[in-house]
Amino acid sequence: MDMYREDVMDHYEHPRNQGSFGDAQDKDVLTARDSNASCGDMVKFYIRIAKGKIIEVKWEGIGCAITTASASKLSEYLVGKKIEDIRKLGEEELVKKAIGFEINPGRSKCLTLPVKVVKKLCRS
Amino acid sequence: MKREINGHPLVYLDSGATSQKPSQVLEAERNYYEQHNANVHRGAHTLGDEATLLLAESRQATAKFIGVSDQEIIFVRNTTEAINLVAYSWGLDNLKEGNVIVTTLMEHHANLVPWQEVGRRTGARVEVVGLTPDGQVDMDDYRNKLKLHPKLVSFVQVSNALGTINPVAEMTKLAHKVGAVVLVDGAQAVPHMRVDIGEIGCDFYAFSGHKMLGPMGIGVLWGKRALLEKMSPFLTGGGMINEVYTDHSTWAELPEKFEAGTPNVAGAVGLMSAIKYLEKLGLPAQAGMDNVREHDKQLVAYSIQQLQKIKEIRILGPKDSSQRSGSVSFEYQGVHAHDIAAILDSQGVAVRSGHHCTMPLHNSLGVVASIRASFNVYTTKGDIDALVEALKKVKEVFKK
Repeated sequence: MDMYREDVMDHYEHPRNQGSFGDAQDKDVLTARDSNASCGDMVKFYIRIAKGKIIEVKWEGIGCAITTASASKLSEYLVGKKIEDIRKLGEEELVKKAIGFEINPGRSKCLTLPVKVVKKLCRS
Repeated sequence: MKREINGHPLVYLDSGATSQKPSQVLEAERNYYEQHNANVHRGAHTLGDEATLLLAESRQATAKFIGVSDQEIIFVRNTTEAINLVAYSWGLDNLKEGNVIVTTLMEHHANLVPWQEVGRRTGARVEVVGLTPDGQVDMDDYRNKLKLHPKLVSFVQVSNALGTINPVAEMTKLAHKVGAVVLVDGAQAVPHMRVDIGEIGCDFYAFSGHKMLGPMGIGVLWGKRALLEKMSPFLTGGGMINEVYTDHSTWAELPEKFEAGTPNVAGAVGLMSAIKYLEKLGLPAQAGMDNVREHDKQLVAYSIQQLQKIKEIRILGPKDSSQRSGSVSFEYQGVHAHDIAAILDSQGVAVRSGHHCTMPLHNSLGVVASIRASFNVYTTKGDIDALVEALKKVKEVFKK
């Protein structure tokens, strides 16, 4: 099954940057969450910014292998990027650059949920 | 449906979402459009008469199928619309601040959200009856909620997510004792068992054609004549009027009062064909729906028995297959339901994954999403075997 290729399964089984920054009210930390109504999946992202650069990313949530791998890959991609650059990217571009795999339309919500959360966070 | 999916023969185990259609049903719809298509009640020509007659015939067949009068059969789009009709027509006129509506935790969103909405507009509140660990309505809690003297009680006959068959006649009787009006959601019952409205004793009953071998877009609301006569129309416009003036109008008699606009005649013709098909299915032929129920029982028992052999699987709902119908839902430990469904699809097996429009139920079970294998008359034990075989692939992919 192509959908469950090796790198996807690797990120699912060993998710990167999973966790949270707790409830700390840190003005350098941006957070956002969202869920997929159709499956109940939920993802929350925490991003710490210094001098306009993303220096640390954490995420938590519940989801399928695709959502998990997508969030994990996205979190790796974000570290070191300028928040302004991420703001400028459209959802599709971010999926292409950060996650780099495609999926059939029925599951695309799983793939894009973490991206939607990060875009929401950028707007906050 | 001899299709191949991803190089495997299709095994369709999502009949609870919608059933496949026998060629007789498709042929009936086609024949209607090719031979009789015209708008109804415009009787000045032959085709118009024929379409009107076919709609009436379908109404009679549907009424007979569930043991009621055809004047009380309202054609709608589906179960959701039928429940909304009652919620808006009956609910807005009869509910007020402080009134109680009782429903259960196993309801499809279609039998919860309309009541929340009507509650929001009238000030009535919705009380939800809990379930036993076995996935049945908690009858003690039900009796307690009835002490609140609800105006309306609405529950499902067969749960779409758990497969539980509810004691609807007993529940109706108890609700009537406190003076409540009772609606039964029969969407998952009518396809699988003989339904006799007289035996249930309820006031409203709703079901869909497309889950019982009929076409999409045709559904039924049955209501007691006395209630329907007092109710305001749900949708207004053509077809449902008696006389129209610039400043007011009068309504048509039942059932037309509730059927505004051009009706789905082709859908009604298809539904009639599905009913005739079900009534004659199996042997002895006159026991059609009893044969259907027997077949369903065997499938449910067999799938529970086979799925229980897989140690990662937890089956939701009653373990006793005589208390369930139509489907078996389960979760697979450690793997998300969507991933299971995707892997099954790669093996040609179609199942439903998600919360099956029962989010409150899934929250209470502590399950984010589950997998549902659901059946109809064409489902075989071989299909269940294919499901079990395809589930082995999950272990390969997820190395659990």
